[in-house]
Amino acid sequence: MELLVSILALGSTYALLAAGIVIIYKASRVINFAHGELAIVGAYVFHSASFLTGTTLTGLSLLATCAIAAAGSALFGVLIYFALMRRLLGRPTFVAAMVTIGLAIILKAAIVVIWQSRSVGILIGRQPLYSFAGGGRITWIQVISIVVCIVAFAALAVFFQYTRLGRQFRGAAENPLLAAQRQVNINLILALAWSLAVFTAALAGVLFGSRSMLSPQSTIIGLSGLTAALVGGLDSLRGAAIGGLLVAAATYLTARLISPTLAETVPFLILLVVMSWRPWGLFGTVEELNRV
Amino acid sequence: MTSRSPYLLVSYAETNRLLPEPYQRAIVALIAAALLCIPLVSGDYFLHLMNLCSIAVIGAVGINLLTGYCGQLSLGQASFMAIGAFTTAILAQRYGLPFIVAIPASCCAGAAVGFLVGLPALRFRGIYLAITTLAMHYAIIYVLTNYQAVVGPSASAGITVPPPSLAGFALTGERGWFYALLIVAALVVVFALNLARSYIGRAWVAIRDRDISAETSGINVPRYKLLAFTISAALAALAGSLGAYFTTVVTVEEYTLELAIVYLAMIIVGGMGSVTGSVLGAVFITLLPFAVERVFEALPFELGTTAFGIQEAAIGVAIIGFLLFEPDGLIEIYRRIATYFERWPFRYREIKPGGAR
Repeated sequence: MELLVSILALGSTYALLAAGIVIIYKASRVINFAHGELAIVGAYVFHSASFLTGTTLTGLSLLATCAIAAAGSALFGVLIYFALMRRLLGRPTFVAAMVTIGLAIILKAAIVVIWQSRSVGILIGRQPLYSFAGGGRITWIQVISIVVCIVAFAALAVFFQYTRLGRQFRGAAENPLLAAQRQVNINLILALAWSLAVFTAALAGVLFGSRSMLSPQSTIIGLSGLTAALVGGLDSLRGAAIGGLLVAAATYLTARLISPTLAETVPFLILLVVMSWRPWGLFGTVEELNRV
Repeated sequence: MTSRSPYLLVSYAETNRLLPEPYQRAIVALIAAALLCIPLVSGDYFLHLMNLCSIAVIGAVGINLLTGYCGQLSLGQASFMAIGAFTTAILAQRYGLPFIVAIPASCCAGAAVGFLVGLPALRFRGIYLAITTLAMHYAIIYVLTNYQAVVGPSASAGITVPPPSLAGFALTGERGWFYALLIVAALVVVFALNLARSYIGRAWVAIRDRDISAETSGINVPRYKLLAFTISAALAALAGSLGAYFTTVVTVEEYTLELAIVYLAMIIVGGMGSVTGSVLGAVFITLLPFAVERVFEALPFELGTTAFGIQEAAIGVAIIGFLLFEPDGLIEIYRRIATYFERWPFRYREIKPGGAR
């Protein structure tokens, strides 16, 4: 039971990261290599914002911190789009991917410059919710992580399926030119994609930071998220959720049963297996392979 | 006797000359003379920087052949360097073999690994290939980490490498290294320039520009893609091997994904698909952190960790800046200046065909 909850909690982080990567990929065919950095920077911002609103992180101050972090991350996504990605429209997508690599370097350096590489933890919900007789326990934050992830995915699904903007988004993802001719505002869609992605990344980062410590090295979770997205299929949100769970399960079980050092490499081994067996992922479309 | 305009080319060999203009030959001769004279006037610190540049040039030329010419995006370059460095460390330290054996053996090991990593390139293009090489990088580094923990004195101490020696003379000191590395780097540059203007280089460019057209033109696409990976990895391994001898210690921690990205940054900044560009980019990116450090030293206050962070950020800024505003890199700036003076007082730009430059 404890194992299952731990896997689900880790999986929810990876799934949220993967969702952001999928959203950006669907909208612009760009793979975001800066996703882990965005998540961890988001978590650091959340941590700093909690000092602005009072350190206790309960009730009203928690709400205020969440609001600041959410607005900040969404705005930052819009900023990334208009400052960087918009200039790269029409250029090969791997150029945009390399720009995200540059962005990743800068964000990681920002953690060093602004937060002096301090190792911090976000102290919410660390209290045990339930302790087992054998010594294992479930903390509040693990359950919160899982619930937040489910709510986020449900919200994204509703948004893409039932709202006008969501339908426009899917249309633009399928064929930007035709969508633009039917008066879909492509700039709006792409900016929205980036802000949604940065928001979900920050959410994942905050949940990750509440369960363990944050440091510049934690940005490696971006690559786990990327693996999760690829396992599920780069253009499938459902795949992102399942991919996140699979990667989390594999990583966690390896760390528990074999060795923690191997666990760091497990996402990449999964990546190699997926790439040689089903490069379009579990739920992805086969044609996508030729579009990048 | 009639003299022919220098712009009228009458044979294929003439279009393919490396240095067609007299002024280009003069520039190359001047640079060579200046480089040879550097040790006479400069201190060990500057020579050390130059040596780092030489090693970087070798690696950057390697990745440019693969990514710039053949168009195969690779994030595995650091692992190729690690393979070269570890092969050298094992051969030189455990088996006591001289560098004359160890360096070629490292290149061969790198080439073999490059061949294996290149196999997925037969299936994937672009970003998918980059992700596969990224995964390969972590797999290789994991194996080497475990190996280092078993072989080295401790898990994180690394393996020491004795200085290379031939007939009783050991290569030590920055000055000796300067000439040795300069010669190797120059040989690599000439090798790459010649490769780039030969059939192989033109086949790579054709594959980069459109692989399907390349195939219909009779190019064996899989063979040349694999050849690009093999040669590129061999050059990276050479850089890793020389780096191991130069720093005298090999640790796996040195060969991170960041290192692979730094090498990618070199060719972005220098110019994709240009050997001269990779030289410029390698020097630029290698010296960038030291230049930033110099600027901070001139400031009146201490920055501490912040300075370190800004040094790192500089490389990211360089990548983004060049991709957005000068996608063809430093070499394009040089070309613009050269064209300006060649055409002066007229101001039109010639449309140059692609190929070796």
